[in-house]
Amino acid sequence: MGSEIWTEKYRPSNFEELVGQEEIIKRVKNLVSSLNIPHLLFAGPAGTGKSTLALIVVKALFGADWKENYLELNASDERGIDVVRQKVKDFARTKALKNVPFKVIFLDEADALTKEAQQALRRTMENFTGTCRFVMSCNYSSKIIDPIQSRCAVFRFKLLEKKDISKVITRIAESERLDIDNKSIDVLYEASEGDCRRVVNLLQSTSSISAKITPQLVETMVSSAKPSDIKVVLDYALAGDFVNAKEKLLDIMLKESISGQDVLKSVQKEVWNLGIEPELKVRLTEKIGEVEFRMVEGSDEFVQLQAMLASFVLAGQGKL
Amino acid sequence: MSFIEKYRASKFSDIKGQDLVISKIKNFFKHFPEEKAIILHGPAGSGKTSLAYALAHEVEGEIIELNASDLRNKQKLSEIVGTASQQKSLFHKTKVILIDEVDGISGFYDRGGLAELLSLIDMTCFPIIMTANKIWDKKFSSLRNKCLMIELKELKYWTILELLKDIAKKEKKEIKEDLLKNIAINAKGDVRAALNDLETSGTTVSEVNVRDKEESIFNALKQVFKDRPTSNTIGLYDKVAMPLDEIYLWLEENIPNEYKDEDLIKAIDLLSKADVFRGRIYRQQHWRFLVYQNFLLSYGISASKKGIKTGFTSYKRPTRILKIWMVNQRNAIKKEIAKKLARFCHISYKRAMSEFNLLKVIINDENIHNAIGLNEKEIEFLQA
Repeated sequence: MGSEIWTEKYRPSNFEELVGQEEIIKRVKNLVSSLNIPHLLFAGPAGTGKSTLALIVVKALFGADWKENYLELNASDERGIDVVRQKVKDFARTKALKNVPFKVIFLDEADALTKEAQQALRRTMENFTGTCRFVMSCNYSSKIIDPIQSRCAVFRFKLLEKKDISKVITRIAESERLDIDNKSIDVLYEASEGDCRRVVNLLQSTSSISAKITPQLVETMVSSAKPSDIKVVLDYALAGDFVNAKEKLLDIMLKESISGQDVLKSVQKEVWNLGIEPELKVRLTEKIGEVEFRMVEGSDEFVQLQAMLASFVLAGQGKL
Repeated sequence: MSFIEKYRASKFSDIKGQDLVISKIKNFFKHFPEEKAIILHGPAGSGKTSLAYALAHEVEGEIIELNASDLRNKQKLSEIVGTASQQKSLFHKTKVILIDEVDGISGFYDRGGLAELLSLIDMTCFPIIMTANKIWDKKFSSLRNKCLMIELKELKYWTILELLKDIAKKEKKEIKEDLLKNIAINAKGDVRAALNDLETSGTTVSEVNVRDKEESIFNALKQVFKDRPTSNTIGLYDKVAMPLDEIYLWLEENIPNEYKDEDLIKAIDLLSKADVFRGRIYRQQHWRFLVYQNFLLSYGISASKKGIKTGFTSYKRPTRILKIWMVNQRNAIKKEIAKKLARFCHISYKRAMSEFNLLKVIINDENIHNAIGLNEKEIEFLQA
């Protein structure tokens, strides 16, 4: 087994190594070569190269001392207004060290910033244009307030295609001397849902079992990495066992540290896969919507989730 | 003069139903200064203060009292009690120092009071008696260690009844035994309450006001779950000394034990609706909503069953908070690892957590441990 994390080891470090997103790369490369960039906003799904491209931009601008002129913040961990007011401002107000007249702040997952924080950011972006550029990434550009979008050059990343993912897999496999066939690549691609990070992680964890990658091995890895199934909870509830459903749900939420909203999201998806009458699906989905509404209005997520389980118990008895 | 003052026991022989405690106190005085202080703790009206006075009377001592109505910071304590504890009494053989309601020493206003008390106990030449209702708070742990702890039980109703009869006779009040019995039962072990009721009851046979004693949560749950709802049901939780948030957890834990099928569904739905009002109260600070919340939790849940329930149910303590705490303890290390990993891999901590199952296989390697900066504990966690 290798002694590095492959997502880092094989993270492209220049424009040429990037796969997919050809159009975007061409435009960004042009901007960088002029040694002046506007604020950038990278929107698109996870694992399509947003962070990587941001890092490449910084490295291309600053060369070896890129680290001094670069601040990376992950907004989904530090999403409050304080962060923008302190960390961002402190970094933005000092001058850059290199021949480039500005520093770069990379705000990853910027759509997780609260609206207030985004408003605060908007002023900061204007006040410090002399010394600082922002590169932001987000999954949904609609969650970024308009004033910020209008100050940025927006780039929309697309899901990586199969040929791109295959290219990445083959390159790593060669370098790590893995034995991999096309079938396994197919399985890896299916499991990745176009997320390059996930593919690389899956490949590395599978290779930790054996250097000969087989489709079965990949499948095993995929299923073992899946978070515990919410379906078990629903099965208990539908069978009328409220207490066990409740216990199991709490266990899953705590173990996987997922929020009530996340639970609702997966329950709502899971309803489609249940073997029940279409009419019941409609009523259950409506209930889940009601629960989500109450969750937003209420104060204890778990109390609301119990109400949802109660509706499933009713549905199981044909009384909903 | 109120009955409470008038008939306050001044001798040990006046104090009923606490014989064991009295012998303990006598013993304590005999062997002073083996133990320098005692804490009498127990429910209100069980005779704690009276016992202190009785002791002083018995040993012909002067009593120095400091109670919760006095400021009890460091300075005040050493001024009053400190000097008294060092000087001999002029007219009496000895002294008894009484610090009443010691659990009421405020951490804020009586700053330094507790520490001063501890040093007083070390220096005193006279026995110190402290009284308290609830002494199990953590902040009293060093005090508890220095003192002999004596617990008083609440008085049995027949003890109180004897006392009441006695006083009624002395007061020449003609009161029917039934009423006295009523008062005694109503007092729920609190002599002071009984005396107050006796004094206000007059000579005619009238209803004694039912005392609003603290309800235990078990009782409240029992009434909500078992009985038909009445107008009393709505106020049930007001008498439980517990924040409403905690009552939610008790309800959540115990509804499924009591209610089944449709009753259960209805009750859970009402719990959820009450929670919506709770959220609105927090967010909009519109406290009128409390009415609805309270109504749904008490009357509403009570009414969601058909008929009444019989039989005994043992209600369980809420387990959710404990579970969360335990998992958090277990997860603390995982979280630390995820944080370090997130920084290293340019991803969010949340994503590192959600992909942890996959990542933990990958990063279990010595070089990677070093690169990410994991400590021994974290490495141990990964290898387990």
